[in-house]
Amino acid sequence: MPDIVLEYASEIRLAIGQTFVMVGISILAAVLVGLPLGTWLYLSRKGQLLSNRFVFSSLNLLVNTIRSFPFLLLVVFLIPFTRIIIGTAIGTAAATVPLAVIAIAHYSRLVEQSLLEVPKGVIEAAVSMGASTREVVVKFLFVEARSGLVLGLTTSIVSFISYSTIMGVVGGGGIGDFAVRYGYQQFQTELMLYMILIMVILVQLIQFAGTTVARLLDKR
Amino acid sequence: MILLQNVSKAFSGQPVIQSVALSIEQGEIHGIIGASGAGKSTLLRLMNLLERPDTGRVEFDGMDLTNLPNRQLRQTRQNIGMIFQDFNLVGNKTVEQNIGVSLELARVKKCEQADRIQECLRFVGLESFARKYPSELSGGQKQRVAIARALANRPRVLLCDEPTSSLDPSTTSEILRVLQDINQTLGVTIVLVSHEMQVIQSICNRVTIMADGQIETTIATEPAGITEITSDAGWFLTQLTERRDPHA
Ligand SMILES: Nc1ncnc2c1ncn2[C@@H]1O[C@H](COP(=O)(O)OP(=O)(O)OP(=O)(O)O)[C@@H](O)[C@H]1O
Ligand SMILES: [Mg+2]
Repeated sequence: MPDIVLEYASEIRLAIGQTFVMVGISILAAVLVGLPLGTWLYLSRKGQLLSNRFVFSSLNLLVNTIRSFPFLLLVVFLIPFTRIIIGTAIGTAAATVPLAVIAIAHYSRLVEQSLLEVPKGVIEAAVSMGASTREVVVKFLFVEARSGLVLGLTTSIVSFISYSTIMGVVGGGGIGDFAVRYGYQQFQTELMLYMILIMVILVQLIQFAGTTVARLLDKR
Repeated sequence: MILLQNVSKAFSGQPVIQSVALSIEQGEIHGIIGASGAGKSTLLRLMNLLERPDTGRVEFDGMDLTNLPNRQLRQTRQNIGMIFQDFNLVGNKTVEQNIGVSLELARVKKCEQADRIQECLRFVGLESFARKYPSELSGGQKQRVAIARALANRPRVLLCDEPTSSLDPSTTSEILRVLQDINQTLGVTIVLVSHEMQVIQSICNRVTIMADGQIETTIATEPAGITEITSDAGWFLTQLTERRDPHA
């Protein structure tokens, strides 16, 4: 371990912990809210099971709007909202709010796209067998789209890591923030490079894991 | 068994089925033939309400399906099996899981499911394929799995939309033989949509001819029997298939 890294070991450990919390909450939000939202977006499309023009346009507009915000502006824009939910707009907990919002918007779009790749005939067969909409989603759509859903989540997680690096602006901490404050601002370029290295390794691992799981799940 | 009365259906203002009346009798194999775009698939999909008619009644066993609450409609659909040209199996489920899901939907007890799956697979001659995925099967085998899946809930009717159109001539004969067997040994009524005259002629008791969303006529026929389709006939079928959808 390089000396400079050892010197800041406890700060780095804290920063990594903060990144994991921020990315972890983002993943949770993506799966718990983004997956259902993306499914609804898909189902409300023209010609699908819950086809509804008003619902689809509204959801579509909402997701597009959130995703078109430059992320830094979204963070600032959401400050009053964050204060209501968390009680403060500063700190790692507060940082998870805008991250969760963008995570939901980001993943729901990828969910919609994965579901669109399921052949319509499979859904038709499911309906002809007497499946309810819920059963079509759980027993057919998610099963058939599962590798796409995993790959989408992988892509999303990599973006969440990137988003988490700018949460220093609201005192969220994390590896990115550490790299800027200790590495860049204190002219310890070496330290900054080590932080970037950590990020690169992290992203490689996640991508490798996601691709492998997706491949194992795909029997088509 | 199935009764369509004055049924009409339009897609975005374009009439596709125009006041059609048709009765499918218990125990028959009823063919529906017509040119591409005549509305054969739509007519078939009206029978299990995959497509809702704009006007008219769709009766199954004397029940008007169009008035049925959702839950009962879903239960009724379990009595009406359906198979398709593209098989529509779930690629990420094994053969037995594909059949099993249909039993789950019908709330068949877990302990009974394995037996039922075996029974269906035996019927279509695929006992040893239970653990395989659809991607490991030939087209004919996939259609057999689809048939097994449709039979799992012991339906009274089997709706078939061009079940042999993506199969070669000899596999076509095999599948037709399975359908005939289902009709004769299990007493399942069959509605068979096809644009191939030979397919219809070989096993149907009655044939409905469609054109432009209307029924031209329904005639009784003597099933000609499934002959090994000769290479000439094979060529003829290919011609028909190619003519069928130039846009596909
Ligand atoms: N969901 C839909 N939306 C709009 N138009 C449709 C839809 N389904 C069918 N049609 C139209 O209705 C007409 C009849 O279609 P249908 O699929 O019933 O014909 P078909 O006789 O089965 O033809 P083919 O032999 O090509 O399968 C066609 O013109 C088709 O374009
Ligand atoms: Mg058709």
